[in-house]
Amino acid sequence: MSTEFVFATAQYDSGDWDSAPLVPPNIIDTIARYTEIAVAPTGVNVPLGNERMLRYPLLYMTGHLPVRFTDAERRNVKRFVERGGLLFIDDHNHDIDGTFHKTATEEITRSVGALAELPNNHPLYSAFFKFDGPPTTSHELNGWGDNLVHKHLLAVQRNGRIAVLYSSKDYSSEWNYHPESKRFLSVDNTRFAVNLVVYALTA
Amino acid sequence: MSALSQLRAVRTVLAAGAVLRALAWGAGAAISLLLFAALVDLTVPLSLAARSAILVLAVFAAIAIPAALVWRDRGVLSLNRVALWIEEHFPALEYALVTAVETGDRGFIEHARPEPWKPAALRRAILAVRAPMAIAVVATIALLVLPAGAVARIRSPHAGDSVERDPAGRRSDASRLTPLAADVTPPAYSGERPRAIDEPSDVKTLVGSVINIHGRGDAAGIVAHVGPDTIVARQTADRWSIEFRVAAKPAAVRLTDRGFQRIIAVEPVADEPPSVVLVAPAHDSVLRTPTGRIALSADATDDLGLVSAAFEYIISSGEGETFKFASGTLGAVQSKGRRATIASSISIDSLALKPGDIVHLRAVARDANDVTGPGIGVSETRSIRIARKDEYDSVAVDAAAPPDAEKSVISQRMLILLAEALQKRRPSLRRDMVVSESRRIAVDQKRLRRTVGDIVFTRLGGDPSGEEHNEEESPERAKTMEEMLARADSATNRSTDPIDFEGGESPVVAVNRPLLEAYNAMWAASTELEIGEPGVALPHMRRALAAIQKARQAERLYLRGTAPAVVIDVNKSRLTGKDKGASSARRALTSSDSVSHARVSRFAAIIELVARDPRSAIDSLLVLRIDALGDEPAFAAALSDAANAMRRGKSEDATAALTRARRSLAGSQVVRDSLARWGIVP
Repeated sequence: MSTEFVFATAQYDSGDWDSAPLVPPNIIDTIARYTEIAVAPTGVNVPLGNERMLRYPLLYMTGHLPVRFTDAERRNVKRFVERGGLLFIDDHNHDIDGTFHKTATEEITRSVGALAELPNNHPLYSAFFKFDGPPTTSHELNGWGDNLVHKHLLAVQRNGRIAVLYSSKDYSSEWNYHPESKRFLSVDNTRFAVNLVVYALTA
Repeated sequence: MSALSQLRAVRTVLAAGAVLRALAWGAGAAISLLLFAALVDLTVPLSLAARSAILVLAVFAAIAIPAALVWRDRGVLSLNRVALWIEEHFPALEYALVTAVETGDRGFIEHARPEPWKPAALRRAILAVRAPMAIAVVATIALLVLPAGAVARIRSPHAGDSVERDPAGRRSDASRLTPLAADVTPPAYSGERPRAIDEPSDVKTLVGSVINIHGRGDAAGIVAHVGPDTIVARQTADRWSIEFRVAAKPAAVRLTDRGFQRIIAVEPVADEPPSVVLVAPAHDSVLRTPTGRIALSADATDDLGLVSAAFEYIISSGEGETFKFASGTLGAVQSKGRRATIASSISIDSLALKPGDIVHLRAVARDANDVTGPGIGVSETRSIRIARKDEYDSVAVDAAAPPDAEKSVISQRMLILLAEALQKRRPSLRRDMVVSESRRIAVDQKRLRRTVGDIVFTRLGGDPSGEEHNEEESPERAKTMEEMLARADSATNRSTDPIDFEGGESPVVAVNRPLLEAYNAMWAASTELEIGEPGVALPHMRRALAAIQKARQAERLYLRGTAPAVVIDVNKSRLTGKDKGASSARRALTSSDSVSHARVSRFAAIIELVARDPRSAIDSLLVLRIDALGDEPAFAAALSDAANAMRRGKSEDATAALTRARRSLAGSQVVRDSLARWGIVP
């Protein structure tokens, strides 16, 4: 059994789960840039309806369209978080009242539990890099979507750990570029992804 | 009164006596049976089934014994037999009475001296009734002397009457936790009847049910620990009781009375949300035009009862990064049964859909759960998409035509294949044929090179028609990559001097470098192909292909639905980041199957306890069962079976159940191990 960390993108039936295809390689590159975590060079797409999804400690889920889990997806998501996995959902619509937000939060509430604001001093924000809260994205600063800068991420916690992390900040757009383009950035905007991965892998 | 009249009177008396005696024996037997059962129950508690059987037996005895006796004594209705009985007791008749009855000639007894036949018959009847009546009376008195509860348990056995029993010789310092009964009242919305449980050890009921545990004696000092809560017993007459509501999680209710303790496992049963099946539309679909009407149909079922059902729709419009949504409900119905069918239709015309819009349809049903609900069940979602205008050739084709860069990739790959084929056939071809075919490939390679040049030039703000669409011999045609770049910069009024950027490379060059590399490689390839050297041209052609692929990956040029497989050179990127973080405060995540390991240890400890202290082992099994109910139902069920078998003293069943539990636990371990520490590459 490999002990490499494999970045997994959640594939669900109802929506455009693959709307941010360059986020996984970008995060993998970021993990390699800043940590010594053994990481697989490519990510995998794993159907939520397949029990294979239970193998991964961190699942990334995004999209624009309504999220409607099938029974199998709902069941697996529940099992996934019960086993200590971290499901990171990012609203690619960057719109708090958008349909992705409504449907995704509804499904999570039904499958796992109600989402609540994650305090900005949560260990997630200091798991590797120090943040004062969730990093802002250019989309929300530009007033795209709901014209709000979301001060908190939402989360469902289990046994003191984040089981589901929900973001309306549209990291999917912010991080969806080829890793080679990082050289054009004065500040790497994917550093928060390191915290996500480190948090998912540690306690 | 004539002799025959007297004879009939005697028959009546004897018959009445026989009936009374039969009834008395029946009553005596039934009451004695109940008395015996009550006495036994006082000493050793009889099960509800045994007491119910005894009651049935007593009723049977009360009916069957009299019936049998009456049948046996049916001869008393015969005048001949009565006459013989009189002759036996009054020999002076010398068979005159019997002869008169048999012949019907009254003359035989006209002169017979009247005798006191009737008093004799009366005495006989009383004598016959005396013994059974005495038994019945004595048994009845004995029953009346017994404690009322003891009699009630035999007279009207029912679930929950264990507290009626007051064991003989009960000491004042005995545990008040035995006998024990529980009344379980499910939530009103469920419509289920309340039920009672004797000596409860395992209560399985709906979440929100009220459980009332009660026993005999004073309430003082009796408490129950339900999770973090402590509940003090209340006093009602000569009983104590503790009442609590069933929560969503399994709980071990620990009852304590001084040094006595008793554990009751409460297993909540969740009210399942409705199950909804969307019958129509049966599949996702694509409509060429946004017109028409779609029939909707769905079936909903619930374990307890539905309240309402409806269809929900969401219309998503837009593409890329911009989407708009509209939603609504259709065909809402109220329902009171466990099953409902809803039907409606949606007019596509009225929704004012545009090409590319998607209608997401599903059915939703709600149940009557007012405790933890309402439970909401949803069907699968169907998508009805309106085809875009560029899908006219076939609505089944999802992707639009590939962008120019994609076409370049495809074309370059094809040219390579052609050149490779020519190179392979080259030994068998004449030189002039090789040159001829090679030049044909060169023409295509030039055309493709011009296309790539157009892309680069257009991005830099120039007019492609003013650059590469001219003929080869045109003096304006760019000859080299550098010349191409210079013209592009000139068209955008930028300086040709590189802007100081990373590595001294201008962003103009950086963004377009892969395509410019492709352009240059194509130039070299076409030159080689022009002179009939496909083998020499091939490395340039492959370099061009690699450059185009690199460009499309860097600029998100890829086909919809097939995400580019970007492979990160992890070793190259390793620790090249400028910023430094720290995770020293974090520690490696413990193995996700640590719960199972802990259960294995606890289970092993219980197995050791079974031989030494069975009662404690039973309690431990129940507590472990509560812990495992959520995620190891098979293991929990096996533990329950084991505890019940041990409680009944059936060691073989207990052993089998414990073996099943051990196997179940071992099986689950394997599954849990599948969650790797860091995840795995499939």
